[in-house]
Amino acid sequence: MPAGHGLRSRTRDSFSRAFRKKGTIALSTYLKTYHIGEYVDVKVNGAIHKGMPHKFYHGRTGQVWNVTKRAIGVEVNKQVGNRIIRKRIHVRVEHVQPSRCAEEFKLRKKLNDKLKAEAKARGEVISTKRQPLGPKPGFMVEGATLETVTPIPYDVVNDLKGGY
Amino acid sequence: PFAKAQKGKAYFKRFQVKFKRRREGKTDYRARIRLTNQDKNKYSTPKYRFLVRFTNKDIIAQIVSASIAGDMVLASAYAHELPHYGLEVGLTNYAAAYCTGLLLARRVLKKLEMDEEYEGNVEATGEDYSVEPGESRRPFRALLDVGLLRTTTGNRVFGALKGSLDGGLDIPHSEKRFAGFSKDSKQLDAEVHRKYIYGGHVAGYMRNLRDDEPEKYQSHFVEYIKRGIEPDGIEEMYKKVHAAIRADPSPKKSEKQPPKEHKRYNPKKLTYEQRKERLIERLNALNSAAGNDDEDDEDEDDE
Repeated sequence: MPAGHGLRSRTRDSFSRAFRKKGTIALSTYLKTYHIGEYVDVKVNGAIHKGMPHKFYHGRTGQVWNVTKRAIGVEVNKQVGNRIIRKRIHVRVEHVQPSRCAEEFKLRKKLNDKLKAEAKARGEVISTKRQPLGPKPGFMVEGATLETVTPIPYDVVNDLKGGY
Repeated sequence: PFAKAQKGKAYFKRFQVKFKRRREGKTDYRARIRLTNQDKNKYSTPKYRFLVRFTNKDIIAQIVSASIAGDMVLASAYAHELPHYGLEVGLTNYAAAYCTGLLLARRVLKKLEMDEEYEGNVEATGEDYSVEPGESRRPFRALLDVGLLRTTTGNRVFGALKGSLDGGLDIPHSEKRFAGFSKDSKQLDAEVHRKYIYGGHVAGYMRNLRDDEPEKYQSHFVEYIKRGIEPDGIEEMYKKVHAAIRADPSPKKSEKQPPKEHKRYNPKKLTYEQRKERLIERLNALNSAAGNDDEDDEDEDDE
């Protein structure tokens, strides 16, 4: 009989718990707080059957748009045909992790605010823009010896020594 | 080897250890998840647990909230503090549990400046009492955490619970497990519960032993006799302790300084040099013993 395309089809490996990480879920999953607008990764925890997202959303990252008693509303992009739709799903907190995609941005924002404030105190104008890496500077090669290579005149006798 | 090795390399490679506190047998994670899980739409509002644990000689009562860094204790009360309030003996019985719960409740309310508003039940009657909401703030809510105890009717942990309830905390409970609840009539006999709160059961046993088995009485209630505590005076004693607790629940700082050097409880690890020296000594000792038996002149002084 054919394979079937049920809700959890083809999820044998992706929904299974990691090697030697089965059993009780660590409390930190339940103690984390989520606010609207934060980025979260959706990662299904196969041990918790309630509030599981569809397998499509496993590994997706989206923003929080709703917070309920035990679940988070996440807005994830999904390509449907020729367009991308912002899909809103509700997921229990066990299937959600805070995403680190925005971490670098947040840290840079804080740092830049600090730098700008310090520059203002000094009376300077600074640019906090990130610059792309330019071409590498020139350098001298270490331990180089010069070897001059010149062509030698063609020697018929020697070359034909191999056999003719 | 004469026995087949059961746990080979493959066993250990696949073995998943349980959480540390589960291995130690101290934490019930199923219960813990359910106690500490806070509604996500309440964000970081702490969910307090009224934690009660009994050791062989002490009672620990704490108000704890969970955090990722570790549980934060808001206030704690121990039975070994009760001597400050006039209770020296019987520090792990039902009455002492009541006192510890009461002490913790008054301490917490004082810390949060709610002790004027929430007096609780000043005269312990043993009836089921729940705090009424006051004018300005809602009562302090905590959830009972018994740990790994078997919650049978009349367990001391419910004595501590009663103490906290009478102290003014809002802890969801039912009277089914208080001492004096009868399964047949499905009612709490407040008189019996009151007897337990004031140590009446201990007093009764004292009277029985004193009349029937004086030697056992002498051996069992040594500390009571030493302090001249009579069975009839026990209720009075507990009443005084309750009053003292309500008067000043704040913790007393002890005069002791922490020792300058931290005491070692396990042997110190030897260095490589030390281990080599030990080996040489042991070999020499072995060989001198063997040499005395065999009278051989073997020199196995390894470098």
